Amino acid sequence: MAVTTYRVTLANRENATFEVVARRPLLESLREQGVDLPYGCKYGGCITCAAKLTAGIVDQRRQVALNKRQINAGYVILCVARPMSDVTLEIGVDSHGALYRNPFLDPLEPHDLRQASPHQRLDDGP
Amino acid sequence: MECCGPGFASPADAIKAPRETLLYTIAIYTGTGIQKPDYLATVDVDPESPTYSQVIHRLEMPGIGDELHHMGWNACSSCFGDAGMSRKYLLLPGVRSNNIHVVDTATDPRAPRLHKVIEGAEIRAKTDLSGPHTVHCLGSEIIISMLGDAKGEAPGGYLHLNDEFEIVGRWENSMGDIKFGYDFWYQPRHNVMFSSEWAAPNTFMPGFDLEEVGHLKYGRELHIWDFERREPVESFYLGEDGLLPLEVKFHHDPDSSHGFCGAALSSNVIHWWKDDAGKWRWEKVIDVENEPHPEWPIPVPGVMSAILVSMDDKYLYLNNWLHGDMRQYDISDPHAPVLTGQVWMGGLLGKAPEVNGVKMAGGPQMFQLSLDGRRLYVTTSLFSTWDNQFYPEIRERGGVMVMIDCDPLHGGMTLNPEFVVDFGREPNGPSRCHEARYPGGDCTSDIWL
Repeated sequence: MAVTTYRVTLANRENATFEVVARRPLLESLREQGVDLPYGCKYGGCITCAAKLTAGIVDQRRQVALNKRQINAGYVILCVARPMSDVTLEIGVDSHGALYRNPFLDPLEPHDLRQASPHQRLDDGP
Repeated sequence: MECCGPGFASPADAIKAPRETLLYTIAIYTGTGIQKPDYLATVDVDPESPTYSQVIHRLEMPGIGDELHHMGWNACSSCFGDAGMSRKYLLLPGVRSNNIHVVDTATDPRAPRLHKVIEGAEIRAKTDLSGPHTVHCLGSEIIISMLGDAKGEAPGGYLHLNDEFEIVGRWENSMGDIKFGYDFWYQPRHNVMFSSEWAAPNTFMPGFDLEEVGHLKYGRELHIWDFERREPVESFYLGEDGLLPLEVKFHHDPDSSHGFCGAALSSNVIHWWKDDAGKWRWEKVIDVENEPHPEWPIPVPGVMSAILVSMDDKYLYLNNWLHGDMRQYDISDPHAPVLTGQVWMGGLLGKAPEVNGVKMAGGPQMFQLSLDGRRLYVTTSLFSTWDNQFYPEIRERGGVMVMIDCDPLHGGMTLNPEFVVDFGREPNGPSRCHEARYPGGDCTSDIWL
Protein backbone atom coordinates (compact mmCIF):
# COMPACT_ATOMS: atom_id res chain seq x y z
CA MET A 1 0.00 0.00 0.00
CA ALA A 2 1.33 3.41 -0.90
CA VAL A 3 2.39 5.68 1.94
CA THR A 4 0.25 8.81 2.06
CA THR A 5 2.30 11.99 1.95
CA TYR A 6 1.40 15.65 2.11
CA ARG A 7 3.19 18.87 1.36
CA VAL A 8 4.06 21.29 4.19
CA THR A 9 4.73 24.93 3.34
CA LEU A 10 6.51 27.06 5.95
CA ALA A 11 5.13 30.54 5.36
CA ASN A 12 7.65 32.31 7.59
CA ARG A 13 10.63 30.37 6.20
CA GLU A 14 10.44 31.78 2.68
CA ASN A 15 7.66 29.33 1.82
CA ALA A 16 10.05 26.39 1.97
CA THR A 17 8.21 23.13 1.22
CA PHE A 18 8.65 19.61 2.55
CA GLU A 19 7.06 16.26 1.81
CA VAL A 20 5.90 14.51 4.99
CA VAL A 21 4.14 11.23 5.68
CA ALA A 22 0.61 11.38 7.03
CA ARG A 23 1.01 9.00 9.93
CA ARG A 24 3.91 10.74 11.70
CA PRO A 25 3.91 13.87 13.85
CA LEU A 26 4.95 16.98 11.97
CA LEU A 27 7.72 17.80 14.46
CA GLU A 28 9.50 14.52 13.72
CA SER A 29 9.14 14.75 9.97
CA LEU A 30 10.26 18.37 9.75
CA ARG A 31 13.19 18.03 12.14
CA GLU A 32 14.46 15.03 10.20
CA GLN A 33 14.53 17.23 7.13
CA GLY A 34 16.62 19.82 8.93
CA VAL A 35 14.00 22.34 10.05
CA ASP A 36 15.11 24.12 13.26
CA LEU A 37 12.11 23.78 15.58
CA PRO A 38 11.62 24.23 19.32
CA TYR A 39 10.08 21.43 21.36
CA GLY A 40 9.79 20.32 24.98
CA CYS A 41 7.77 17.37 26.23
CA LYS A 42 7.14 15.57 22.88
CA TYR A 43 3.74 14.32 24.07
CA GLY A 44 1.51 17.31 23.42
CA GLY A 45 1.63 18.66 26.97
CA CYS A 46 3.78 21.77 27.04
CA ILE A 47 3.08 24.16 24.11
CA THR A 48 6.79 24.76 23.37
CA CYS A 49 6.49 23.48 19.77
CA ALA A 50 3.29 25.40 18.97
CA ALA A 51 2.98 26.57 15.36
CA LYS A 52 0.27 28.49 13.54
CA LEU A 53 -1.74 26.59 10.94
CA THR A 54 -2.85 28.97 8.20
CA ALA A 55 -4.11 26.42 5.66
CA GLY A 56 -5.00 22.75 5.71
CA ILE A 57 -6.09 20.28 8.38
CA VAL A 58 -4.18 18.39 11.07
CA ASP A 59 -5.20 15.74 13.58
CA GLN A 60 -3.97 16.92 16.98
CA ARG A 61 -6.34 15.03 19.23
CA ARG A 62 -3.47 14.01 21.48
CA GLN A 63 -2.52 17.56 22.48
CA VAL A 64 -3.58 18.68 25.96
CA ALA A 65 -1.76 22.03 26.28
CA LEU A 66 -3.71 24.51 24.14
CA ASN A 67 -6.71 26.39 25.46
CA LYS A 68 -9.73 27.24 23.34
CA ARG A 69 -8.55 30.74 22.54
CA GLN A 70 -5.27 29.40 21.21
CA ILE A 71 -6.95 26.67 19.16
CA ASN A 72 -9.31 29.23 17.64
CA ALA A 73 -6.30 31.39 16.80
CA GLY A 74 -5.01 28.49 14.69
CA TYR A 75 -2.30 27.04 16.90
CA VAL A 76 -1.29 23.41 16.59
CA ILE A 77 1.11 21.30 18.62
CA LEU A 78 3.62 19.89 16.17
CA CYS A 79 4.96 17.09 18.36
CA VAL A 80 1.61 15.26 18.15
CA ALA A 81 -0.12 16.86 15.13
CA ARG A 82 -0.35 14.70 12.01
CA PRO A 83 -1.23 16.22 8.63
CA MET A 84 -4.56 15.30 7.05
CA SER A 85 -4.03 17.44 3.94
CA ASP A 86 -1.37 19.72 2.49
CA VAL A 87 -0.75 22.33 5.19
CA THR A 88 0.76 25.79 5.52
CA LEU A 89 2.40 26.66 8.84
CA GLU A 90 4.14 29.54 10.54
CA ILE A 91 6.72 28.03 12.89
CA GLY A 92 8.97 28.92 15.81
CA VAL A 93 8.52 31.56 18.47
CA ASP A 94 8.17 34.22 15.77
CA SER A 95 4.74 32.64 15.11
CA HIS A 96 3.75 32.98 18.78
CA GLY A 97 2.43 36.54 18.64
CA ALA A 98 -1.18 35.52 19.28
CA LEU A 99 -0.26 32.52 21.41
CA TYR A 100 0.32 34.60 24.52
CA ARG A 101 -1.72 37.45 25.82
CA ASN A 102 -1.38 39.69 28.85
CA PRO A 103 -4.66 39.21 30.73
CA PHE A 104 -4.35 42.51 32.63
CA LEU A 105 -3.56 44.56 29.53
CA ASP A 106 -5.99 42.78 27.18
CA PRO A 107 -8.98 41.37 29.05
CA LEU A 108 -10.78 38.77 26.97
CA GLU A 109 -13.10 40.01 24.23
CA PRO A 110 -16.78 39.11 24.68
CA HIS A 111 -16.57 36.36 22.04
CA ASP A 112 -13.57 34.87 23.87
CA LEU A 113 -15.60 34.80 27.06
CA ARG A 114 -18.35 32.88 25.29
CA GLN A 115 -15.77 30.31 24.30
CA ALA A 116 -14.84 29.93 27.94
CA SER A 117 -18.28 28.31 28.24
CA PRO A 118 -20.21 29.84 31.13
CA HIS A 119 -22.63 26.90 30.88
CA GLN A 120 -19.97 24.67 32.30
CA ARG A 121 -20.15 26.49 35.59
CA LEU A 122 -23.91 26.32 35.73
CA ASP A 123 -23.92 22.65 34.82
CA ASP A 124 -21.31 21.80 37.42
CA GLY A 125 -24.02 22.32 40.01
CA PRO A 126 -23.60 22.35 43.77
CA MET B 1 25.61 14.73 67.66
CA GLU B 2 29.19 14.43 66.39
CA CYS B 3 30.20 15.91 63.09
CA CYS B 4 30.45 14.47 59.74
CA GLY B 5 27.40 14.57 57.54
CA PRO B 6 26.57 17.40 55.16
CA GLY B 7 25.40 20.81 56.23
CA PHE B 8 25.43 22.18 59.74
CA ALA B 9 24.47 21.13 63.26
CA SER B 10 22.08 24.06 63.60
CA PRO B 11 20.93 27.25 61.84
CA ALA B 12 23.27 29.19 64.18
CA ASP B 13 26.22 27.15 62.86
CA ALA B 14 25.09 27.69 59.27
CA ILE B 15 25.18 31.47 59.77
CA LYS B 16 28.85 31.19 60.82
CA ALA B 17 29.85 29.24 57.68
CA PRO B 18 32.46 30.73 55.31
CA ARG B 19 31.18 33.22 52.75
CA GLU B 20 29.96 31.72 49.45
CA THR B 21 32.40 32.05 46.54
CA LEU B 22 30.36 30.33 43.82
CA LEU B 23 26.73 30.01 43.06
CA TYR B 24 24.79 27.95 40.58
CA THR B 25 21.84 29.23 38.63
CA ILE B 26 19.91 27.59 35.86
CA ALA B 27 19.61 29.45 32.57
CA ILE B 28 17.01 28.56 29.97
CA TYR B 29 16.63 28.75 26.22
CA THR B 30 13.30 26.92 26.21
CA GLY B 31 10.66 29.30 24.86
CA THR B 32 13.20 31.92 23.76
CA GLY B 33 13.44 31.01 20.07
CA ILE B 34 17.01 29.76 20.47
CA GLN B 35 17.11 25.99 19.99
CA LYS B 36 19.94 25.29 22.46
CA PRO B 37 19.89 23.23 25.65
CA ASP B 38 19.14 24.87 28.98
CA TYR B 39 22.22 24.94 31.22
CA LEU B 40 23.54 25.23 34.74
CA ALA B 41 25.68 28.37 35.03
CA THR B 42 28.41 28.73 37.64
CA VAL B 43 28.68 32.36 38.75
CA ASP B 44 31.79 33.66 40.50
CA VAL B 45 30.67 35.56 43.62
CA ASP B 46 34.11 35.93 45.24
CA PRO B 47 34.87 39.68 45.18
CA GLU B 48 38.61 38.93 45.37
CA SER B 49 38.48 36.92 42.16
CA PRO B 50 39.37 38.42 38.74
CA THR B 51 36.20 36.81 37.30
CA TYR B 52 33.89 38.18 40.02
CA SER B 53 30.32 38.76 38.78
CA GLN B 54 30.80 36.60 35.68
CA VAL B 55 29.55 33.24 34.43
CA ILE B 56 32.64 31.01 34.63
CA HIS B 57 31.18 27.69 33.50
CA ARG B 58 28.14 26.40 31.63
CA LEU B 59 26.94 22.81 31.88
CA GLU B 60 24.53 22.14 29.03
CA MET B 61 21.78 19.58 29.42
CA PRO B 62 21.82 16.70 26.89
CA GLY B 63 18.74 17.88 24.94
CA ILE B 64 16.68 21.00 24.28
CA GLY B 65 13.33 21.99 25.74
CA ASP B 66 13.67 20.85 29.37
CA GLU B 67 12.75 24.22 30.91
CA LEU B 68 14.92 23.85 33.97
CA HIS B 69 13.18 25.58 36.86
CA HIS B 70 13.77 24.83 40.54
CA MET B 71 16.65 22.74 41.89
CA GLY B 72 17.50 20.85 45.04
CA TRP B 73 20.32 19.01 46.78
CA ASN B 74 20.63 15.28 47.29
CA ALA B 75 21.42 15.97 50.94
CA CYS B 76 21.14 18.87 53.37
CA SER B 77 21.51 19.47 57.10
CA SER B 78 18.80 16.85 57.67
CA CYS B 79 21.64 14.36 57.01
CA PHE B 80 24.15 16.10 59.31
CA GLY B 81 24.32 13.07 61.57
CA ASP B 82 25.04 10.67 58.69
CA ALA B 83 28.76 10.51 57.90
CA GLY B 84 28.00 8.43 54.81
CA MET B 85 26.17 11.30 53.09
CA SER B 86 27.53 14.38 51.37
CA ARG B 87 26.04 17.35 49.57
CA LYS B 88 27.45 16.34 46.27
CA TYR B 89 24.61 16.24 43.77
CA LEU B 90 22.28 18.97 42.60
CA LEU B 91 19.03 17.79 41.00
CA LEU B 92 17.73 19.83 38.07
CA PRO B 93 14.26 18.82 36.94
CA GLY B 94 12.90 19.91 33.54
CA VAL B 95 9.30 21.08 33.97
CA ARG B 96 8.45 20.36 30.32
CA SER B 97 10.56 17.29 29.52
CA ASN B 98 10.12 15.74 33.00
CA ASN B 99 13.79 14.71 32.79
CA ILE B 100 15.60 14.97 36.12
CA HIS B 101 19.28 15.78 35.73
CA VAL B 102 21.58 14.77 38.56
CA VAL B 103 24.67 16.98 38.54
CA ASP B 104 27.90 16.27 40.43
CA THR B 105 29.03 19.59 41.89
CA ALA B 106 31.66 18.21 44.26
CA THR B 107 34.34 16.74 41.97
CA ASP B 108 34.99 20.20 40.55
CA PRO B 109 32.69 22.81 42.08
CA ARG B 110 33.57 25.39 39.43
CA ALA B 111 32.76 22.98 36.59
CA PRO B 112 29.88 20.71 37.59
CA ARG B 113 29.37 17.59 35.50
CA LEU B 114 26.34 15.51 34.59
CA HIS B 115 26.12 12.35 36.70
CA LYS B 116 22.83 10.82 35.59
CA VAL B 117 19.54 11.62 33.87
CA ILE B 118 16.30 10.10 35.09
CA GLU B 119 14.27 10.08 31.89
CA GLY B 120 10.91 11.81 31.91
CA ALA B 121 9.34 8.97 29.95
CA GLU B 122 10.39 6.50 32.66
CA ILE B 123 8.94 8.72 35.40
CA ARG B 124 5.63 9.05 33.55
CA ALA B 125 5.42 5.33 32.86
CA LYS B 126 6.34 4.15 36.36
CA THR B 127 4.60 6.75 38.53
CA ASP B 128 1.96 8.44 36.31
CA LEU B 129 3.48 11.82 37.20
CA SER B 130 4.70 14.88 35.27
CA GLY B 131 5.67 18.49 35.90
CA PRO B 132 8.47 18.26 38.49
CA HIS B 133 8.86 21.26 40.78
CA THR B 134 10.31 21.37 44.30
CA VAL B 135 13.12 19.02 45.35
CA HIS B 136 13.81 18.27 49.02
CA CYS B 137 16.04 15.63 50.53
CA LEU B 138 14.46 13.54 53.28
CA GLY B 139 17.30 12.25 55.30
CA SER B 140 19.05 10.11 52.70
CA GLU B 141 16.27 10.01 50.13
CA ILE B 142 14.63 12.60 47.90
CA ILE B 143 11.09 13.66 47.13
CA ILE B 144 9.98 15.94 44.31
CA SER B 145 6.58 17.56 44.00
CA MET B 146 5.07 16.72 40.60
CA LEU B 147 2.27 19.03 39.49
CA GLY B 148 0.39 16.69 37.19
CA ASP B 149 -0.29 13.11 36.23
CA ALA B 150 1.26 11.71 33.08
CA LYS B 151 -1.37 13.56 31.02
CA GLY B 152 -0.82 16.89 32.76
CA GLU B 153 -3.96 16.79 34.90
CA ALA B 154 -3.85 17.90 38.56
CA PRO B 155 -3.20 17.12 41.37
CA GLY B 156 -0.13 15.01 40.57
CA GLY B 157 1.79 13.79 43.60
CA TYR B 158 5.29 13.20 44.93
CA LEU B 159 8.08 11.33 43.18
CA HIS B 160 10.26 9.33 45.57
CA LEU B 161 13.90 8.66 44.64
CA ASN B 162 16.46 6.66 46.60
CA ASP B 163 20.04 7.78 47.24
CA GLU B 164 21.16 6.12 43.99
CA PHE B 165 18.62 8.30 42.14
CA GLU B 166 16.45 5.35 41.24
CA ILE B 167 12.68 5.67 41.14
CA VAL B 168 11.14 4.19 44.27
CA GLY B 169 7.61 5.19 43.22
CA ARG B 170 5.07 7.56 44.69
CA TRP B 171 6.04 8.95 48.09
CA GLU B 172 2.57 9.86 49.34
CA ASN B 173 0.08 7.31 50.58
CA SER B 174 -2.78 9.59 49.62
CA MET B 175 -3.38 13.02 48.09
CA GLY B 176 -6.66 13.25 50.03
CA ASP B 177 -8.87 15.99 48.56
CA ILE B 178 -5.93 18.07 47.35
CA LYS B 179 -6.71 19.70 44.02
CA PHE B 180 -3.29 21.01 42.98
CA GLY B 181 0.37 20.73 43.88
CA TYR B 182 3.32 23.10 43.91
CA ASP B 183 5.79 23.71 46.75
CA PHE B 184 6.30 21.94 50.09
CA TRP B 185 8.42 22.16 53.21
CA TYR B 186 8.55 19.82 56.19
CA GLN B 187 9.31 20.35 59.88
CA PRO B 188 10.05 16.92 61.35
CA ARG B 189 9.88 17.79 65.06
CA HIS B 190 6.22 18.63 64.52
CA ASN B 191 5.72 15.64 62.17
CA VAL B 192 4.30 18.05 59.64
CA MET B 193 4.61 19.03 56.00
CA PHE B 194 2.88 22.01 54.36
CA SER B 195 2.12 21.97 50.64
CA SER B 196 0.74 24.67 48.35
CA GLU B 197 -1.12 24.94 45.05
CA TRP B 198 -0.40 26.36 41.61
CA ALA B 199 -2.38 24.66 38.86
CA ALA B 200 -2.37 21.65 36.56
CA PRO B 201 0.39 21.66 33.92
CA ASN B 202 -2.36 21.72 31.28
CA THR B 203 -3.51 25.02 32.80
CA PHE B 204 -0.23 26.86 33.37
CA MET B 205 1.67 25.62 30.29
CA PRO B 206 -0.50 27.60 27.81
CA GLY B 207 -0.01 30.81 29.83
CA PHE B 208 -1.85 32.63 32.59
CA ASP B 209 -5.51 33.50 32.02
CA LEU B 210 -7.27 35.55 34.67
CA GLU B 211 -10.60 33.96 33.72
CA GLU B 212 -9.28 30.55 34.71
CA VAL B 213 -8.74 31.79 38.26
CA GLY B 214 -12.47 32.47 38.38
CA HIS B 215 -13.12 28.99 37.00
CA LEU B 216 -11.18 27.52 39.95
CA LYS B 217 -8.40 26.20 37.77
CA TYR B 218 -5.78 27.82 40.02
CA GLY B 219 -5.17 26.99 43.68
CA ARG B 220 -6.28 28.81 46.80
CA GLU B 221 -5.57 26.30 49.58
CA LEU B 222 -2.71 25.20 51.84
CA HIS B 223 -2.44 21.61 53.00
CA ILE B 224 -1.13 20.18 56.25
CA TRP B 225 0.31 16.68 56.11
CA ASP B 226 1.00 13.99 58.69
CA PHE B 227 4.58 13.63 57.55
CA GLU B 228 5.16 10.09 58.82
CA ARG B 229 1.85 8.77 57.52
CA ARG B 230 2.47 10.60 54.24
CA GLU B 231 -1.05 11.88 53.85
CA PRO B 232 -2.83 15.22 54.15
CA VAL B 233 -4.84 15.70 57.35
CA GLU B 234 -6.14 19.26 57.13
CA SER B 235 -6.47 22.11 54.63
CA PHE B 236 -6.72 25.87 54.95
CA TYR B 237 -9.12 27.45 52.46
CA LEU B 238 -7.54 30.87 51.91
CA GLY B 239 -10.11 32.21 49.46
CA GLU B 240 -9.47 35.59 47.84
CA ASP B 241 -6.64 36.23 50.31
CA GLY B 242 -4.71 33.27 49.00
CA LEU B 243 -5.01 33.10 45.23
CA LEU B 244 -2.13 31.05 43.82
CA PRO B 245 -0.43 30.15 47.11
CA LEU B 246 3.07 29.32 45.86
CA GLU B 247 6.17 29.19 48.03
CA VAL B 248 6.01 27.76 51.54
CA LYS B 249 8.77 28.14 54.12
CA PHE B 250 8.96 27.11 57.75
CA HIS B 251 11.23 28.87 60.21
CA HIS B 252 14.69 27.27 60.08
CA ASP B 253 14.52 26.71 63.86
CA PRO B 254 13.42 23.06 63.93
CA ASP B 255 11.39 23.59 67.11
CA SER B 256 9.29 26.37 65.60
CA SER B 257 5.84 25.71 64.15
CA HIS B 258 5.71 29.09 62.37
CA GLY B 259 5.76 29.23 58.61
CA PHE B 260 4.82 31.46 55.70
CA CYS B 261 3.35 31.25 52.24
CA GLY B 262 3.38 33.85 49.47
CA ALA B 263 0.07 33.95 47.60
CA ALA B 264 1.24 35.15 44.19
CA LEU B 265 -1.88 36.62 42.62
CA SER B 266 -3.35 38.03 45.85
CA SER B 267 0.19 39.23 46.64
CA ASN B 268 -0.28 38.42 50.31
CA VAL B 269 1.87 36.65 52.84
CA ILE B 270 0.00 34.02 54.83
CA HIS B 271 1.43 33.10 58.25
CA TRP B 272 0.62 29.81 59.98
CA TRP B 273 1.49 28.37 63.38
CA LYS B 274 0.35 25.81 65.93
CA ASP B 275 -1.44 27.38 68.88
CA ASP B 276 -1.15 26.40 72.54
CA ALA B 277 -3.99 23.92 72.14
CA GLY B 278 -2.09 22.19 69.32
CA LYS B 279 -4.39 23.51 66.60
CA TRP B 280 -2.97 24.86 63.32
CA ARG B 281 -3.99 28.47 62.65
CA TRP B 282 -3.45 30.92 59.79
CA GLU B 283 -3.69 34.67 59.19
CA LYS B 284 -2.79 37.17 56.47
CA VAL B 285 0.13 39.28 57.67
CA ILE B 286 1.27 41.19 54.55
CA ASP B 287 -0.96 42.59 51.81
CA VAL B 288 0.65 44.23 48.76
CA GLU B 289 -1.90 46.49 47.08
CA ASN B 290 -2.50 46.28 43.33
CA GLU B 291 -1.10 49.30 41.49
CA PRO B 292 -2.73 51.26 38.67
CA HIS B 293 -0.93 51.17 35.32
CA PRO B 294 -1.40 54.05 32.85
CA GLU B 295 -2.18 51.73 29.92
CA TRP B 296 -3.88 48.81 31.60
CA PRO B 297 -7.60 48.56 32.31
CA ILE B 298 -6.96 46.24 35.25
CA PRO B 299 -4.65 47.28 38.14
CA VAL B 300 -1.41 45.35 38.29
CA PRO B 301 -1.03 42.81 41.10
CA GLY B 302 2.43 42.45 42.64
CA VAL B 303 2.70 38.76 41.73
CA MET B 304 4.62 37.54 44.74
CA SER B 305 6.13 34.45 43.21
CA ALA B 306 8.72 33.72 45.91
CA ILE B 307 9.45 34.24 49.61
CA LEU B 308 12.52 33.46 51.67
CA VAL B 309 13.23 33.37 55.41
CA SER B 310 16.73 34.34 56.59
CA MET B 311 18.69 31.67 58.43
CA ASP B 312 18.24 33.50 61.76
CA ASP B 313 14.44 33.58 61.16
CA LYS B 314 14.47 37.35 61.64
CA TYR B 315 13.70 38.53 58.10
CA LEU B 316 11.31 37.52 55.37
CA TYR B 317 12.11 38.56 51.80
CA LEU B 318 9.53 38.74 49.03
CA ASN B 319 9.30 39.86 45.42
CA ASN B 320 6.65 41.61 43.39
CA TRP B 321 7.49 40.38 39.92
CA LEU B 322 5.13 42.67 38.03
CA HIS B 323 5.59 45.75 40.24
CA GLY B 324 9.38 45.38 40.25
CA ASP B 325 10.31 45.55 43.93
CA MET B 326 12.06 43.31 46.44
CA ARG B 327 11.07 43.77 50.05
CA GLN B 328 12.51 42.89 53.43
CA TYR B 329 10.25 42.49 56.47
CA ASP B 330 11.34 42.05 60.08
CA ILE B 331 9.36 39.02 61.28
CA SER B 332 10.69 38.95 64.85
CA ASP B 333 6.98 39.00 65.67
CA PRO B 334 5.65 36.66 62.97
CA HIS B 335 2.12 37.96 63.59
CA ALA B 336 3.15 41.53 62.76
CA PRO B 337 5.86 41.87 60.07
CA VAL B 338 7.47 45.31 59.73
CA LEU B 339 8.71 46.57 56.34
CA THR B 340 12.42 47.36 56.79
CA GLY B 341 13.78 47.47 53.24
CA GLN B 342 12.78 47.85 49.59
CA VAL B 343 14.70 47.88 46.31
CA TRP B 344 13.29 48.51 42.82
CA MET B 345 14.57 46.63 39.78
CA GLY B 346 12.73 46.33 36.46
CA GLY B 347 9.01 45.70 36.68
CA LEU B 348 6.06 47.19 34.82
CA LEU B 349 5.64 50.36 36.89
CA GLY B 350 8.73 52.04 35.42
CA LYS B 351 10.48 52.70 38.74
CA ALA B 352 13.84 51.18 37.79
CA PRO B 353 14.07 50.34 34.08
CA GLU B 354 17.86 50.11 34.21
CA VAL B 355 20.02 48.60 36.95
CA ASN B 356 23.84 48.82 37.02
CA GLY B 357 23.87 49.70 33.33
CA VAL B 358 21.63 46.83 32.24
CA LYS B 359 18.17 47.45 30.80
CA MET B 360 15.87 45.14 32.71
CA ALA B 361 13.32 42.88 31.04
CA GLY B 362 11.31 41.28 33.81
CA GLY B 363 11.17 41.99 37.49
CA PRO B 364 12.67 40.43 40.62
CA GLN B 365 11.65 36.80 40.60
CA MET B 366 13.81 34.18 42.34
CA PHE B 367 16.35 34.98 45.02
CA GLN B 368 18.83 33.30 47.29
CA LEU B 369 20.23 34.76 50.51
CA SER B 370 23.71 34.14 51.88
CA LEU B 371 23.83 32.09 55.06
CA ASP B 372 24.98 35.16 57.04
CA GLY B 373 22.00 37.11 55.70
CA ARG B 374 24.05 39.88 54.06
CA ARG B 375 23.85 39.18 50.31
CA LEU B 376 20.68 38.52 48.37
CA TYR B 377 21.14 37.36 44.76
CA VAL B 378 18.09 38.09 42.61
CA THR B 379 17.12 36.90 39.10
CA THR B 380 14.36 38.04 36.77
CA SER B 381 12.75 35.20 34.78
CA LEU B 382 9.68 33.32 36.06
CA PHE B 383 8.56 30.70 33.56
CA SER B 384 9.17 31.03 29.83
CA THR B 385 5.48 31.12 28.85
CA TRP B 386 4.65 33.69 31.54
CA ASP B 387 7.78 35.75 30.78
CA ASN B 388 6.61 35.94 27.17
CA GLN B 389 3.16 37.12 28.25
CA PHE B 390 4.17 39.89 30.62
CA TYR B 391 7.68 40.85 29.49
CA PRO B 392 7.91 39.95 25.77
CA GLU B 393 11.10 42.03 25.42
CA ILE B 394 12.89 39.42 27.56
CA ARG B 395 13.37 37.42 24.33
CA GLU B 396 15.87 39.95 23.08
CA ARG B 397 17.31 41.08 26.42
CA GLY B 398 17.48 37.86 28.44
CA GLY B 399 17.57 37.61 32.21
CA VAL B 400 19.70 39.44 34.76
CA MET B 401 21.19 38.57 38.14
CA VAL B 402 21.87 41.34 40.63
CA MET B 403 22.91 41.44 44.28
CA ILE B 404 21.28 43.33 47.11
CA ASP B 405 23.27 44.15 50.25
CA CYS B 406 21.17 43.44 53.32
CA ASP B 407 21.72 44.63 56.87
CA PRO B 408 20.87 41.74 59.18
CA LEU B 409 21.38 43.77 62.34
CA HIS B 410 19.30 46.89 61.75
CA GLY B 411 17.35 45.94 58.64
CA GLY B 412 17.56 47.67 55.27
CA MET B 413 18.60 46.71 51.77
CA THR B 414 20.52 48.47 48.99
CA LEU B 415 21.36 47.43 45.46
CA ASN B 416 25.05 46.51 45.18
CA PRO B 417 26.54 48.73 42.44
CA GLU B 418 29.43 46.37 41.57
CA PHE B 419 27.59 43.14 40.84
CA VAL B 420 25.51 42.38 37.78
CA VAL B 421 25.41 39.32 35.51
CA ASP B 422 23.73 40.07 32.19
CA PHE B 423 22.40 36.84 30.70
CA GLY B 424 21.49 38.86 27.61
CA ARG B 425 25.15 38.56 26.60
CA GLU B 426 25.57 34.80 26.81
CA PRO B 427 27.58 33.10 24.01
CA ASN B 428 24.56 31.37 22.44
CA GLY B 429 22.31 34.42 22.75
CA PRO B 430 20.04 35.83 25.47
CA SER B 431 19.12 33.20 28.07
CA ARG B 432 17.06 33.55 31.24
CA CYS B 433 18.44 32.88 34.71
CA HIS B 434 16.16 31.57 37.42
CA GLU B 435 16.80 29.83 40.74
CA ALA B 436 20.20 29.94 42.49
CA ARG B 437 21.91 27.64 45.01
CA TYR B 438 25.29 27.71 46.78
CA PRO B 439 27.55 24.68 46.93
CA GLY B 440 27.69 24.69 50.75
CA GLY B 441 24.02 25.05 51.53
CA ASP B 442 21.65 27.98 51.49
CA CYS B 443 18.54 29.48 52.99
CA THR B 444 16.06 27.54 50.85
CA SER B 445 17.49 24.02 51.17
CA ASP B 446 18.37 23.09 54.71
CA ILE B 447 16.01 21.43 57.15
CA TRP B 448 16.98 20.12 60.60
CA LEU B 449 15.65 16.90 62.09
